[in-house]
Amino acid sequence: MTSPDPLRPAPAPAAGPAAHVVIEELAAGYEGTRVLDVPELTIRRGEFLSILGPSGCGKTTLLNALAGFVRPSRGRISVDGADVTDVPPHRRGLGLVFQNYALFPHLTVAGNVAYGLKVRRVERAERRERVAEALRLVGLEGYADRRPRQLSGGQQQRVAVARALATRPAVLLLDEPLSNLDAKLRREMRVELRELQQRLGITMVFVTHDQEEALSLSDRIAVLNGGRVEQLDTPERVYRAPASRFVAEFVGAANILDGVADGGGVLRIGDTVLRTGLPGPERGRPAVLALRPERVRLHTAAAEPASADAGSGGAASGVLGYRAFVGDAWHSEVHLAGGATLSARTHAEPPPLGSEVTARWSAEDVIDLTTAPAEEAR
Amino acid sequence: MTRTSPTRGRAAGAGYALPAVLFLAALFAVPLARILELSLHPVDGTGNPLPEFSLVQYQRVLTEPFFAESLRSSLLTALLVTVLCLLLGYPVAYALARTRPGVLRTVMFVIVVSPLLTSVVVRSYGWVVLLSANGAVNRFLVATGLADAPVPLLTSYLAIVVSVTHVLLPFAVIPLTTALGGIDGNLRRASQMLGAGPIRTFWRITVPLSLPGVATGALVVLPLAMGIYITPLLVGGANRPLAGLRVYSQITSVYDYPVAAALSFTLLLLTLLCVTVLGSGFRFWERRLYG
Repeated sequence: MTSPDPLRPAPAPAAGPAAHVVIEELAAGYEGTRVLDVPELTIRRGEFLSILGPSGCGKTTLLNALAGFVRPSRGRISVDGADVTDVPPHRRGLGLVFQNYALFPHLTVAGNVAYGLKVRRVERAERRERVAEALRLVGLEGYADRRPRQLSGGQQQRVAVARALATRPAVLLLDEPLSNLDAKLRREMRVELRELQQRLGITMVFVTHDQEEALSLSDRIAVLNGGRVEQLDTPERVYRAPASRFVAEFVGAANILDGVADGGGVLRIGDTVLRTGLPGPERGRPAVLALRPERVRLHTAAAEPASADAGSGGAASGVLGYRAFVGDAWHSEVHLAGGATLSARTHAEPPPLGSEVTARWSAEDVIDLTTAPAEEAR
Repeated sequence: MTRTSPTRGRAAGAGYALPAVLFLAALFAVPLARILELSLHPVDGTGNPLPEFSLVQYQRVLTEPFFAESLRSSLLTALLVTVLCLLLGYPVAYALARTRPGVLRTVMFVIVVSPLLTSVVVRSYGWVVLLSANGAVNRFLVATGLADAPVPLLTSYLAIVVSVTHVLLPFAVIPLTTALGGIDGNLRRASQMLGAGPIRTFWRITVPLSLPGVATGALVVLPLAMGIYITPLLVGGANRPLAGLRVYSQITSVYDYPVAAALSFTLLLLTLLCVTVLGSGFRFWERRLYG
């Protein structure tokens, strides 16, 4: 029996996004310190979920808890409704791609891919077919008899993916799989991985510290900080409407304007005074705003726009203290009067260093984080 | 310091090895050549070497059962001891490799190398105390009724195997620990993620990848076991059928130096042959494993 796509996982019982992996009240820690505390996290069938966070945020612990290598101190993990919290890794039926690929050096590429099938006692003929199919999927048809160490990093990466997919896991876990590749290959593999995931409709949980990877790959991103999920949302929402100051700063660059409202949309940050463009909180109330650098426009005093435009949105004046061409844009820093600094990312070349400039932005681009939960002291 | 060319640097490096080279040449190569020369002389009735050259000593070594049997026995004993060291050492090495560095690991390691830290006299006397007619083992055997009278354990083959395995075990454990400790833990985890339980993972991943350590252990233990004589001498006496002991008795009581030299040389060649065969066998395996 050969289905058109033999690596496609068993069909979902119900169409559409369904709760596939459910994490409840999960806590894990080593020697008394809690490194993970996830009250609730549901992974939908067929989605690409990134777990994004800085090193030490608990993302690897979360992945290891899903895989079964870390025993949670509390809570439940279920896959397709079955509680797997106490199930050892080899009986969970999940796949894992390691950061260092962890290919078996004593087996050929085909031997690596066939490993999980042999364990499952798949017949030799079917096994051969499925190994070939998995290798075709990652574009390594001609490499079956090579040894892992004869392959480049990118090829080893593909073998690792093929090996994990060959057993048709319910969920494929990926532990920073692209971080050992060079920048160009990383971008290519990103596209390949996403295409593969969409073609197979397999659920992938992708752990990364690279916000760009998470943004470009995911259906949803769970931003982890200090063992807690700070936000779980689509890449666009995470970027445009970060739930906390941490998310705003970690996902994409952000100017954080942390000051006290002076009334009438004016914010005072230390000695710096700027117009936010928002009606703003009442005078005397603290306010935290975030502003993406690419939303900041720079104007020299000579080229000030018409007063109509100047009237709306936010603005701050200062001196251009830094400018650098970064390929697809210019990165500048404006030293505002009073000491604060504002980053800008513009397509137009900024004026020369030392110029008097006015930074402007639209009101709708200001992200208000004043009511967002403050970062807990830990 | 002025710049040195790479070749000069290399020459300087070779110079550092000169003391060791001279040391080996003076104390190993020269005596070896002397023994070879000695083994090529026939002897007169009192065992004094005669000036002419002949292969008669080698003929004696290979035909007289007294010598030929001892060579055979040494070889079989060495192979048995090697296998025992690897079998007994593997679990120890596995435990050592999986223990995090700390007090426990240090204590384990000291226990493992303790035979090497103990004088051969003390160590062998320990076995004598245990295995003698009124030693702990015999008293246990008699008390439990497993034996009616004390068993002559000291002169048994078992005593040789046990005491030699005891002293050579560390030479197996150390390379095995290195090999097992060098296996990336993610390989075990990858195997488990692919559905293999701990036992299958052990046989399919851990054992094949520890093979270089097995090879090193075997290639160290086997030659040592082939030539060992002090431990069996102190435990079971000089009359055990081992080539090393036969050489010893020819020198100390028969005073037939040429036949002792011929036996030594035959043992050396046999050992080299075993090491070569074993070594190329392992290399073949490794090449099959790693491509």
